[in-house]
Amino acid sequence: MAKAMLIDTTKCLYCNACSVECKQQNKVPLGKNIFLTQMMIREIGKFPKVKQFFIKRACNHCTEAACVDVCPTHALFHHKDGYVVLDQNRCNGCGYCSQFCPFQIPQLEIFDAFSGAAKSYKCTFCADRVAQGYETYCAAACPFGAITFGDREKLIVQGQRRVAELKNRGVAEARLYGEKELGGLHVLYILEQKPRYYGLPDNPQYPVIPKVLDVVKILGYAALGVTVVGLGVNWIIARRNIRAEESIEKKEEKPHE
Amino acid sequence: MNKVPKNLPIFYVFSFVQRLVHWVNFFGFMLLLITGAFLFSPALQGLVVGPAGWLSRAGHRWGAIIVGVAVLIYILFDFRGFLRSMKEIFTWGENDWKWLFAAPRYYFYGDDRKMPPQGRFNTGQKMFYLTYVITLIVLGVTGILMWFGKGTIAPEFFRLSVLLHDLAAIVITVFLLIHLYLALFHPAMRPAMDAIRFGFLPKDYLQHHHGQYYEELVSK
Repeated sequence: MAKAMLIDTTKCLYCNACSVECKQQNKVPLGKNIFLTQMMIREIGKFPKVKQFFIKRACNHCTEAACVDVCPTHALFHHKDGYVVLDQNRCNGCGYCSQFCPFQIPQLEIFDAFSGAAKSYKCTFCADRVAQGYETYCAAACPFGAITFGDREKLIVQGQRRVAELKNRGVAEARLYGEKELGGLHVLYILEQKPRYYGLPDNPQYPVIPKVLDVVKILGYAALGVTVVGLGVNWIIARRNIRAEESIEKKEEKPHE
Repeated sequence: MNKVPKNLPIFYVFSFVQRLVHWVNFFGFMLLLITGAFLFSPALQGLVVGPAGWLSRAGHRWGAIIVGVAVLIYILFDFRGFLRSMKEIFTWGENDWKWLFAAPRYYFYGDDRKMPPQGRFNTGQKMFYLTYVITLIVLGVTGILMWFGKGTIAPEFFRLSVLLHDLAAIVITVFLLIHLYLALFHPAMRPAMDAIRFGFLPKDYLQHHHGQYYEELVSK
């Protein structure tokens, strides 16, 4: 059963409890600007008509996850419950995940800029807690019930109900984000406005390059294979012919020019 | 320059700097190829997990530095030779097209009747050298972007760099396989290996494979 989190931005008060609890419990390195989840605030409009939009920013656990596809060490993979797990022991710090993520979520802890030794950080979905039947730390920490953890299908129904309720109360642009995006996110958001107001892409797209890379890899192996076979054939033919020629030359006792 | 006597048994064709550049390039490139293959090939990726991956990625950067140093050595210590090689690989003439058509019969059957006279580099060597220079520029630029640009350049550029880096690497690896094969295994190419190690080519080989260059040498 796919698990998910539903984040109701209309209930969020920007208290940062989720972010603090997450950083403490997941032992994220201190003193470096690395967060598994972080509150983002944006101000839209001109004074005096300013509105603040804030949202809990973290890995959205896409179903079509580019990070999983480009990770060369398979440190990133899909859990059977749908979310995306990062095994830091396998991570070699290449940082492809941070560059291919449509939301630009994964962060690198860089130990050495020259050698590139680094580790990637992103939301773990509190996999160890979830495995034992508990909810995620952020959901447990939220004092306002803005983060709900549960089965994805139930959360979608709950989210749609809440959106309808908001629309009834006059929030015309209210919407549920993440139901269909990128094959379905495992973090769903109830938004009052268009996603871009929250720093989320309106229509997140799986990047083109990983698909091209798959083709390039196949072409690469094909090219290398054809070359090796071709050279092997050349070796067999050339060796026989050139030897034969040399022996003829020897017989005729002509010095090689 | 002194006139080169016609009856010399061997001719000096590669200077010390040129041979040094070749071999520094060789070791740097091999390091790059091996460490690069670890990231490229799913079959090998299991070997570069975690700290082993840091090692291979650091090795890849050292390889890049070694190749960069090789290019620098060439430019700093033999700039004329460098310019001359660059000029030669970008100069293509009628003989090159003839060579391309005649080459298969020569490399498979040893039939050299239609092979046109060649300069210091024959057409095939020029093709390899040219491809190496072009892919090296592509690999260098995209490599530096990925090395230092993470987080500062737009992710789209980073993604494009990964793609171009892969493509260039495949192209040059194919050419390198042919290069290695001709140097190590092809029965008619043995003396070329001596030229790049010790700098000398026997007269008959030079006349036979690089006729135009031989005429240049003896007419000086």
